[in-house]
Amino acid sequence: MKRNNTMEKNMEKQYLLLVLPGLIIFTIGLIIPLLLAFRYSFTSWDGMSAEKPFVGFKNYLDLLQDPDFRSAWWFTLKFTIGNTIIQNVLALLFAVALDSGIKAQKVYRTAFFVPCLISALIVGFVWLKMFSNVLPAVNELLGTSFNFLLFGDGKTVLSGLLIANNWQWVGYWMLIYLAGLQSIPGDLYEAAKVDGAGAWTRFKNVTIPMLAPAITICVVGITTGSLKVYDLLVSSTKGGPGRASTSVIYQTYATAINGRQYGYGSAMSVSLVIVLLLVALIQVKGLKSKEVQQ
Amino acid sequence: MKKKLISLMLGTAMVAGALTGCGGGGDSAPSEAPAPAENEEAAAGAAENAGGGDVSEPVTLTVLAGQSTTDAGIEDMIDEALAEQYPNITLEWECVDWGNDFQPKMQQYMQSGLPDIMIGKAQDVATYAPQGILGEIDATYLDRGLDAARENVTIDGKTYGLVYNALYQGVYYNKTMFAENGWEIPKTQEDLQAIIDDCKAKGITPFASHMVDTWSIGNVTMQFMMNDVFNNDPEWGDKFRAGEVSFSEDKAVQTAYQYNKLIFDNTYPETFSTEQTDCDAKMVLGEAAMKVSGSWSIQNFLDIDESFDFGIFPFPNQTGDSKLIFEPNITVMTSANSEHQDAINCVLDVLTGNKDLAVEIYDYTKTASMLKDVTPTFANPSQEDIDKYAADGMIVDVTLGNNQLVWGGFQEENAKDIAAWLQGDAEFEDALKASDGRVGASSAN
Repeated sequence: MKRNNTMEKNMEKQYLLLVLPGLIIFTIGLIIPLLLAFRYSFTSWDGMSAEKPFVGFKNYLDLLQDPDFRSAWWFTLKFTIGNTIIQNVLALLFAVALDSGIKAQKVYRTAFFVPCLISALIVGFVWLKMFSNVLPAVNELLGTSFNFLLFGDGKTVLSGLLIANNWQWVGYWMLIYLAGLQSIPGDLYEAAKVDGAGAWTRFKNVTIPMLAPAITICVVGITTGSLKVYDLLVSSTKGGPGRASTSVIYQTYATAINGRQYGYGSAMSVSLVIVLLLVALIQVKGLKSKEVQQ
Repeated sequence: MKKKLISLMLGTAMVAGALTGCGGGGDSAPSEAPAPAENEEAAAGAAENAGGGDVSEPVTLTVLAGQSTTDAGIEDMIDEALAEQYPNITLEWECVDWGNDFQPKMQQYMQSGLPDIMIGKAQDVATYAPQGILGEIDATYLDRGLDAARENVTIDGKTYGLVYNALYQGVYYNKTMFAENGWEIPKTQEDLQAIIDDCKAKGITPFASHMVDTWSIGNVTMQFMMNDVFNNDPEWGDKFRAGEVSFSEDKAVQTAYQYNKLIFDNTYPETFSTEQTDCDAKMVLGEAAMKVSGSWSIQNFLDIDESFDFGIFPFPNQTGDSKLIFEPNITVMTSANSEHQDAINCVLDVLTGNKDLAVEIYDYTKTASMLKDVTPTFANPSQEDIDKYAADGMIVDVTLGNNQLVWGGFQEENAKDIAAWLQGDAEFEDALKASDGRVGASSAN
């Protein structure tokens, strides 16, 4: 008994030792800045002066009446919802298609996955050129008149960004779904077939429930990733035209750094962190309850 | 025990890796700098004779250069000239885009320690000098520049910036097209409208523009404001902060905003998808008659077609007395706390004293000289117009407006609202109200 206790204590020490480096980096890189941002959010600091005048909740109250911040949230929400739906559906469909035993599966898998290895900055630039130069040139060549200038109009910029973002990330989430699909025991499908279940019924009653853990990962990952969109915008639309594609992070950066309103910008970032935590918590709780234990 | 040892080693390796990763970059310790001089003493002596400080030991100076697109590449020219004149001095450059990254970098360095030299624009002096972080520029080097260069970089009698070159802003026009169509240089809005109408009648796009770049909207708006607002009321920005005037109530400011609509209505429909290079190409290829822009376009114009014949005139205002806009551009600032003031002075000596280098830089950037007795040699078809406006005293320094209504956080944000209004996503009144709403961000201090 005593030996067991000593072993447990030793194991705990080992775990602690393993966790410690990560914890130190995490604390320095994330926890401390987060606490500092929280502190600055109660000041009117300009990011340059030595003085950081305390203003209480003024920044948070101003946020509620700031039309630019509201507009940034509205864009971010639309971008997030669009991405979450499109990316999950497409990734799942591609994964099912690849799992069905089609030829050249590895080639397709690689082709779909490669874009996510590219930096979002490059992806933004590539699609800027695609929409502004390449596709209009194709239009001219073919004598067609499709409107490819998606980034140049506030009404179409969201569609353009969704195309660019989904092009980049669908392959990544597809791999997660594919791994999930390949881990579903074949017996379950056999049993469903014996019971007379058709393809759709098998998909609905076997595939989807068994994929629930992968769905949780994908939904939470895509949602939180989309809420934090910034780099794609920097190289493609720069938040425009006007403010049509300004995300919360873009607005925060413009306010805190370019606008020298560090305190106000910190309040923006704190509000985003709270929303991110809430969304992730709700999604994980909701989706976990639907997961099936294998 | 083995597991413990492995975990300990892994942990140590991770922490060490992280620490070296954080501290690896940006090492500019003078003792580690290379010493290209074969004869260091001779080099130091030459430095003193030439007007720079005494630099007998190898020194590496850090430089943060906030560049416009036209400036990228001048760092190599400066390095080369410096290596010849002061071989003990090495510059460690960090070149960033002035519009997007200079201010964030400065904020970062204000917390961690400024670079020895900072290159920005004249308006940066008004932002950073009051913070007490900029060093005063020695009169030896300032005296080599034009007197006009000191005006907007001097605070309380002390000059904190060395203005190196200047840009001119206004309406660039296709001279051949103007001659062929019998168009005169417009002085009033009516004159301009007549040209626009004639352009349209002949199927010519009146204006080339690239509104995809918000900075371009912000830039032309300040041009408009200089001639319709600041020329009549040079303290408009201060009055705005004092609550005496506002964007929502001042008709002159509203007119300046409305000129954006005039451009938007008379340019090609894809302006919000057209980048500067493509826009300049359209101008050179004769697809548009005019472009409200600045000297930064000249580099593109001449790169595309070195025989392109163009001129410049100020965008006409309501009173018909518009002035050509002059903008001090590359402005060298130094750190007040640098340990290498002598070496910094050597760099200033090279910049202001080496005329070959100056001409090389002006010819490359296609900009005007702010040094005495130094004239660029590149063929600038618009120089004739610039000289005419200069002779008539019809040139105004835009730093007046830029110092009162700062770029970052104010002009830049206003431009986004103007773009939204032009796109129909916001009302004109909303754009004006938004400008009024950010009065707190209109000043650097």
